[in-house]
Amino acid sequence: MPMYQPSSRREVDSSQVLDLETAVKDGVLGGGGGGVITTAAFASDKLDLKIMIEELESMDVPTVFICPISLEPMHDPVTLCTGQTYERSNILKWFSLGHCTCPTTMQELWDDSVTPNKTLQQLIYSWFSQKYLAMKKRSEDVQGRVKEILENLKKIKGQARVQALKELRQVVQAHGSAKKTVVENGGIGLISSLLGPFTTHAVGSEVIGVLVSLNLNLNSKSDLLQPAKMSLIVDILNEGSIETKINCTRLIGMLMEGTDFASENIASLSLLVGLLRLVKDKKHPNGVLVGLSLLETICSHESVRSSFVNVGAVPQLVELIPGLTNECLELVLHVLELLSSTPEGRLALKDCPNTIPNIVKLLMKASENCTQLALSILWAICKFAPEECASLAVDAGVAAKLLLVIQSGCNPMLKQRSAELLKLCSLNYTTTIFISKCKLTRTIQ
Amino acid sequence: MGLLCSKNRQHTEADTEENAQTAEIERRIEQETKAEKHIQKLLLLGAGESGKSTIFKQIKLLFQTGFDETELKSYVSVIDANIYQTIKILYDGSKEFAQNDVDSSKYVLSGENQVIGEKLSEIGSRLDYPRLNRELAEEIGNLWKDSAIQETYARGNELQVPDCTHYFMESLQRLSDADYVPTKEDVLYARVRTTGVVEIQFSPVGENKKSGEVYRLFDVGGQRNERRKWIHLFEGVTAVIFCAAINEYDQTLFEDEQKNRMMETKELFDWVLKQPCFEKTSFMLFLNKFDIFEKKVLNVPLNVCEWFKDYQPVSTGKQETEHAYEFIKKKFEELYFQSTAPDRVDRVFKVYRTTALDQKVVKKTFKLVDETLRRRNLFEAGLL
Repeated sequence: MPMYQPSSRREVDSSQVLDLETAVKDGVLGGGGGGVITTAAFASDKLDLKIMIEELESMDVPTVFICPISLEPMHDPVTLCTGQTYERSNILKWFSLGHCTCPTTMQELWDDSVTPNKTLQQLIYSWFSQKYLAMKKRSEDVQGRVKEILENLKKIKGQARVQALKELRQVVQAHGSAKKTVVENGGIGLISSLLGPFTTHAVGSEVIGVLVSLNLNLNSKSDLLQPAKMSLIVDILNEGSIETKINCTRLIGMLMEGTDFASENIASLSLLVGLLRLVKDKKHPNGVLVGLSLLETICSHESVRSSFVNVGAVPQLVELIPGLTNECLELVLHVLELLSSTPEGRLALKDCPNTIPNIVKLLMKASENCTQLALSILWAICKFAPEECASLAVDAGVAAKLLLVIQSGCNPMLKQRSAELLKLCSLNYTTTIFISKCKLTRTIQ
Repeated sequence: MGLLCSKNRQHTEADTEENAQTAEIERRIEQETKAEKHIQKLLLLGAGESGKSTIFKQIKLLFQTGFDETELKSYVSVIDANIYQTIKILYDGSKEFAQNDVDSSKYVLSGENQVIGEKLSEIGSRLDYPRLNRELAEEIGNLWKDSAIQETYARGNELQVPDCTHYFMESLQRLSDADYVPTKEDVLYARVRTTGVVEIQFSPVGENKKSGEVYRLFDVGGQRNERRKWIHLFEGVTAVIFCAAINEYDQTLFEDEQKNRMMETKELFDWVLKQPCFEKTSFMLFLNKFDIFEKKVLNVPLNVCEWFKDYQPVSTGKQETEHAYEFIKKKFEELYFQSTAPDRVDRVFKVYRTTALDQKVVKKTFKLVDETLRRRNLFEAGLL
């Protein structure tokens, strides 16, 4: 049973006579700043307390309103003979469990009656009403502001346009209701139309910043997938700050979701190179994750893979492996696995000196998925160039790892693959030499 | 000793003055070098007739004082020359087609026009051209309207017919005026093969009226024999503006009628990209003459050019034009990445669709180029 510790309250100036409204309005009760409200609001009983409490969830509720038992705001506060107040249903439950004490003071109750605390109930109601109506007004203000900005955007140009878009972006990111307003007032179409062949970076990056926070329907997506607009988004991705790069990447990901567009139209070489640059930037792990996700989506389309290999993706991705989080590791490995399905990919993987050591290290390390992907890649390379790769793999300690896989609780497919790979790697060695190369302990031997 | 002493003293006085002068000169040199460092060097490169000089003229019109009356008048002889040369090419062309073509009759001129044609052909082969007057203008106009000449013009890609043909031929009246002063547009269309190097220095004024970067723009001749002069300009270049005329996929070089112009541009671009001094240089690719390309691509398939042989048309009208444009852009992009070593991949590479004759387009395009270069500077200074 948590002990209810009343926090220190602000001293009420006893010389002042406080009425209900003033007490609430001046924030005397503490908890969150006051909102400006009219008295008329009090009369409105249409405001349901439950709903208000729900919508104002994130607000700091004054401690006096909180039930010591549930730590939730009280709907129907009742007071015991000890003077402590609780939520009716909670204290009744406490009694039904056989207790005859006041939960907070631990005193034995000489009187088990509960008195409804009407004063407190009214206070709670009016406090929440005030906050709720203030919030609603702010929300309406936001909506009004959004509509104003959208109207403005139809007319202004240059620096003013950039400023308006910046403001729109901030409002949309801060208020959920703003997003709805933008969509309902044709905002998506309007700002998408600002993206054209002569759009400056300043304007374009702000537009993308707004679009990425909104829900785009199929029409909007098709419009943005036009080659001229995609080129612009890719250019902005390549030139922008890290925040802009992430926004562009996420936007492209959103556009590719749920559309049947062939990746080859979207995934230009500039985009692929730009994404590679993004994922190599270890100073910004957010960017790495977002970039790898998009690369994974793009590489799921066969036609793009060889172009991607041709811009030098493989060695750059292999270099990336040490030091990645597990989530990123899975993505990188998946991309490499997809690339290994092409002959250029296999060749590039074989030619990169760090492929085998980096990937062998990942066996049985991060997750089962990672092991599976790593195994798949190793299999592909060793099948492709067994003479070269088998010995490299063995030198990198693959045999011990494979044995670990076989002996582990992984799924049978993995174990079988491991066994096959082990066999492949051991082909050129006599048993004794192989075993010595494996650096195995006696028991495993 | 004494003599030596006194001599020394005299020297010291003279020395001090000399030192002061040297110091002043050195200070000046340092100032200039510093100032030079802030000037960004832009190089216009590309094959012959790709639009480099037109861009150059546009920049002059946009960011300098433009052309004064004397300069404008200096173009009269150029325009005259263009007209005579063009009509000669067309007339000689029609004779060639009349001789060799299966359908020869359509290239045969009317008797009257044949006479005019011979006369104009003779004028066109001179070194000095007469000023265009009413009479000549009328004769040229009549010849131009002859169906044989029009038929020949339709096959202009097989000859060396310049792009300004239609523009000038339709304005003969105005151009033959005794008091004719060329308009800005006339100057933009006027064609002179650049030889050597021309440069201007300018500063694009931004929206805030603050002065922006200082640029020095160099224009060069594009024909093969001019390119050996390029190498002298390659040091310390901030950005190369490479012009490629995308309408030229069915035309051959002026200096080598066996070579397809687009293939020439492809090889040239590749060569430029690999130059060691351009390791950190930004590349702005202007895919130029879009206006002419737009009309041509619907009638002449891209696959006549070997580089574009794998092109598949998808639809008609504007959609098709866009699709064809994107195809070409992709080809250039592929070429860029193929020709760029991994350690250079970080240099800026952007593609712009341009129509160099359209001042608005050039202005907007340049604004973007300027923005990119400024961002690049901030990035390199670690401020971005």
